[in-house]
Amino acid sequence: MARKHREIGKAGWGYTAVASVIGFIYFFPVFWIILTAFKTRTDALAVPPKLIFTPTFDNFVSVFYRASITTGTSQATDMGLYFFNSIFIAFTSVGLALIVGTLAAYAFSRYPLRGNDTYLFIILTTRMMPPIVVIIPIFLMFRLSGLAGSYWGIIFLYTAFNIPFSVWLVKSFFDELNPEIEDAARMDGATERRVFFGFCIPQILAGLSATFVFGLILTWNEFLFALLLTGVETRTVPVAMARTLGGEVGVDYGLLAAIVTLFLIPIFFVTFLLQNQLLRGVTFGTVKK
Amino acid sequence: MSELKVDNLRRTFGKVVALDGMSFDVAEGEFFCLLGPSSSGKTTTLRAISGLEELERGRVHFGGRDVTEVPVQGRGMSMIFQTFALYPHLSVEANLAHPLRRSGASGADIRKRVGEVAELLRVTHTLKRKPTTLSGGEQQRVAIGRAIVGRPKLLLLDEPLTNLDAKLRDEMRTEFKRLHRELGMTMLYATPDQIEALTMGDRVGVIRDGKVVAIGTPRDLYREPTDTYVAGMIGSPPINFLDAKTSGDGQLSLPFLDRPVETPGVAGGQSLVVGLRPHDIALAQSGAAAIPAKIHLTEPLGDVTIIDIRARETNMKMVLREEVAAKFNVGDEISVTFDPGDLHFFDPSTGIRRERQAV
Repeated sequence: MARKHREIGKAGWGYTAVASVIGFIYFFPVFWIILTAFKTRTDALAVPPKLIFTPTFDNFVSVFYRASITTGTSQATDMGLYFFNSIFIAFTSVGLALIVGTLAAYAFSRYPLRGNDTYLFIILTTRMMPPIVVIIPIFLMFRLSGLAGSYWGIIFLYTAFNIPFSVWLVKSFFDELNPEIEDAARMDGATERRVFFGFCIPQILAGLSATFVFGLILTWNEFLFALLLTGVETRTVPVAMARTLGGEVGVDYGLLAAIVTLFLIPIFFVTFLLQNQLLRGVTFGTVKK
Repeated sequence: MSELKVDNLRRTFGKVVALDGMSFDVAEGEFFCLLGPSSSGKTTTLRAISGLEELERGRVHFGGRDVTEVPVQGRGMSMIFQTFALYPHLSVEANLAHPLRRSGASGADIRKRVGEVAELLRVTHTLKRKPTTLSGGEQQRVAIGRAIVGRPKLLLLDEPLTNLDAKLRDEMRTEFKRLHRELGMTMLYATPDQIEALTMGDRVGVIRDGKVVAIGTPRDLYREPTDTYVAGMIGSPPINFLDAKTSGDGQLSLPFLDRPVETPGVAGGQSLVVGLRPHDIALAQSGAAAIPAKIHLTEPLGDVTIIDIRARETNMKMVLREEVAAKFNVGDEISVTFDPGDLHFFDPSTGIRRERQAV
């Protein structure tokens, strides 16, 4: 209701100026990395830093093809595969966690167990310690079970890490729904399955989108487990990025910035696509109906 | 023949007993109101009848068969919820069409039926919109439409007017009566508002602590309340209760009178609670029967004014027509009177009505 009456630019130029300064400060590092991606090596390292320069696409080319030092011929890097890995692993595991989490959240919200809150608490305990404390047992388990280096290994791990977060968040969205709507659907003849898919899920799409994006951002940037548990074939971009540091020519900031820039695109895209849903999702239930 | 028979329902939530021996019958085509304060078990009763709530004990018979174990989807009833419970992600049209989907009716039939119902409830202009963009009254009418579109044999209404403002409530009361007359379906209406119950109900069942304590036509319940609870529940402004004693046969001492009044048929030597409706107190022409009283508060309602009077140490409410009330101010001394035949008598310990004995 309130949205209808909101005027664009009502806050005035003063507040808008303050907001844009803060916005600029937040965005500046990202902006600088994107800028660096278009710089030659000399420009990237220039002191004082250069804002005006002749852009080049060399860095982006060398993300995928690099000149071999010994033969001088151009050689494909595996970065394409790593990008695929990152996308495949992150989307699959966050998607799985969202499916499992949504089903669990619905059960927790609508069919509470005796000691419901205790179970919810237990689910969250796995996220209370820093992940690094479990890295050794997990590493051993992965070695012994043969999951190390496989897609499913890392996908299962990320799914497991995302489920608690999904359950908690999605449960809060289900809790906000008016249960009489579901009762009305039942009285209209809807089965339990139809009540869930046809009436509950459509009402919390915004919340599901928000949960998906938050989970995706966390998983997308995960480094530690990816470093230890992925193999040559399943390596993700953050790990591959770290491997470009050092090497025979020192840190190639242009190359690094180009990878980061490309790496930002999918997450930018998803967030932008779901932006409207996202805003509704994170403010879900904060406005009284 | 009774269409709906509710027999000895019991339901508890943890330690809270919501229904405790809830029983009543509703005849076919009847408009039956359940009247009770909040958390007296009205909603639970409706939910139990619809099948949304499981019962620990008791049976629900509907249309001549025991439906206690029939799942909610198959009972052929519909319900209007307190929150309207419209499907927010569907258009008004889809909301109205939803109950028809399971019937296997063709798309054209569904559209026709939705159009008719929208027409009947004057929401045709909103069909393409989402429910959240409608006004409260429109949402309410869509909710009614969705409940009646499938032509249910029984319509359950759970405080459907509670979320509307006063003016709309008045309009919708008329609307419900009109619909009941035009559609002829059996309606079971739960409300905490005695005005709604009295104006709409063919019969009213007064609920207290999870069971029906009195059933009757609005007129009967008002004229001969079965106990102090029913007497206090029905009538606005509420009835005045006074402690009284009978001094001799047919002689009653009231706290605001210095002499007993003649009340034939009341046995002597007992304590009583006496009920006197505000409408039964009148201004007295100066004379022997006049009771001196002092006005200490007035509540003008427009056409009438509720006057709080104090006679001796007793506070009572009375009602005067506005043009009469306008002559008085707070603090004025007035004389009032009443007809002893209008008094209601109740047992002081049980609250149960005591009938007068024929003299």
